[in-house]
Amino acid sequence: MTLVLENNAARPRSKRTKRPGLWLMLPAAAAMLLAFGAPLIFSAWYSFTRWSLVRPASKSEFVGLSNYTRVLTDHEYWQAIGVTLTYAASAVTIECILGIALALLLNKQMFGRGIFRSLMLIPMVMTPAVVGLFWKLFFEESDGLFNYFLTAAGLPALPWLGVSMALVSIVILDVWQATPFFMLIMLAGLQSMDRNIVEAAEIDGASRLQVFRYITLPHLVPYIMVAAAFRIIGALADFDKIYLLTFGGPGNVTTTVSLYAYNRGFKIFDIGQTTAISWLFIILVLTITAPLIWHLLRGSSTARH
Amino acid sequence: MTSKSRSLISKCVITAFCGLLVLVYLFPYTWMVMTAFRSPVDSFERPPKFFFQPTLDGVRYLFEVVEFNGYLISSTIVTLVTVLATIVIAVPAAYAVAHVEKNSKSFLIFILVARMIPGIAIVVPVYLLASQFRLLDTYQVLVLMNIAFNLPFAIWLLRSFFIEVHPGLREAALVDGCSEVQVLTLVMSPLVLGGIMATAVFVFIAVWNEFLFALVLSGPHTATAPIAVLGFRTAFGIQWDSMSAAAFLISAPVIVFAFIMQRYLVQGLTMGSIK
Repeated sequence: MTLVLENNAARPRSKRTKRPGLWLMLPAAAAMLLAFGAPLIFSAWYSFTRWSLVRPASKSEFVGLSNYTRVLTDHEYWQAIGVTLTYAASAVTIECILGIALALLLNKQMFGRGIFRSLMLIPMVMTPAVVGLFWKLFFEESDGLFNYFLTAAGLPALPWLGVSMALVSIVILDVWQATPFFMLIMLAGLQSMDRNIVEAAEIDGASRLQVFRYITLPHLVPYIMVAAAFRIIGALADFDKIYLLTFGGPGNVTTTVSLYAYNRGFKIFDIGQTTAISWLFIILVLTITAPLIWHLLRGSSTARH
Repeated sequence: MTSKSRSLISKCVITAFCGLLVLVYLFPYTWMVMTAFRSPVDSFERPPKFFFQPTLDGVRYLFEVVEFNGYLISSTIVTLVTVLATIVIAVPAAYAVAHVEKNSKSFLIFILVARMIPGIAIVVPVYLLASQFRLLDTYQVLVLMNIAFNLPFAIWLLRSFFIEVHPGLREAALVDGCSEVQVLTLVMSPLVLGGIMATAVFVFIAVWNEFLFALVLSGPHTATAPIAVLGFRTAFGIQWDSMSAAAFLISAPVIVFAFIMQRYLVQGLTMGSIK
């Protein structure tokens, strides 16, 4: 190793650029600065103006922080934050539990295990917009299949897309689509487990529940954390499924921050407020995901050789 | 002998139980596929009809009236260009972060923060900028946004594959007189080919399924397949057969692709999430 390093130092400098790493990163950095940097600066600037697309002259009317104070005092904004957090938290919790259960099940010895695992990929990779659309086949109040099954079983029909149930329905939708994601990661976790420890515990008389509680579950914790963190990022920003299934309604009961901002921008054309909402949303998401960023960065410095 | 036959029985029981579970879990999908090939009259018959005379009316309507092939062509163009460009841009960056730059922390923070930014916060200003520069409804903007949105994840995932390669290989190649670009293309890339495949699979799925950017930034010329689903919410209610046919056809490529590339998909999931 030392020999290699000496040789390295001895080779002529002129043959190479001084920081080749920077050149290799340049295209990526440029693409992201162009696509993220420029729009974000643009939106920060206009979040301090009264710009509305229906009044072009308003583009240069500076109003200081008033867009931010108007959004922060708008109860619809807080309602949207409530919907977003409720949706993300409940969906991810259920997905996590179901994902672990399914992984434990599909980790057992059986015939056709590979086929079952492959089939479970279908919901995960499906176009979310399409999922939001065709689930109407089930959720529709009069023609939907769920209510047919309920009434056939002698139970009352439910207003799946009504005020009282719509939020539950979009959570069901996300649970159906994202549980296989958790299942796959949990399966990877289970496969990396040391069988000897489990066998030793079983010989020592540990019950199945004890093995799960004291060996399997602790082993899965890092997998759970990362899967949940990535899914939370996705769920907070979710747009397509909800847009197509409920369009944020009825009323505002499924209007997440994404839909709230979308309506402000593309229905009311109030750019000043929309850009202010965008920035508040970015700050909210970064605050929630800061522990993950920190965790990933810490892991990155130890993972290196 | 008895314990062996007992374990065989338990294996059969578990197989049957899991088979049933998977069947129930996938029922919404199966039902959607059935609806795509069933006449609307049959679809609304109760009790539900599981056996029926299949029809292609829904698919025919989709291609003849909705002109679905135009959407498919746009989707194919946007997806292929984005996947290729993302890989070409992300591979050198990931290599640099993993091996070349000793102090790449600020770039990593930049990537992670970019990864967290919600699409809606970007799409509004991009829409305004694109309309100012007359770039709405062009492939350029759609592809650029898709590339940029997938780069953070792609770099992060590729980086975890590059880290697995022993740095001694690079050093030896440098000593032998290779430039960094040669090290990357001749030495490193063949070793992380699996990682490159995994990344390409993820980007493919993400771009094919992408909806928000396409909704806001595309137009009649560039609308991608997921945008086609908007057309079925007519004033007369939803046309279930052609809507389901669209749902089936839009998601079929990603599902087939995911099956073929399953190995890479699972590898990418575990690598990307744990490392």
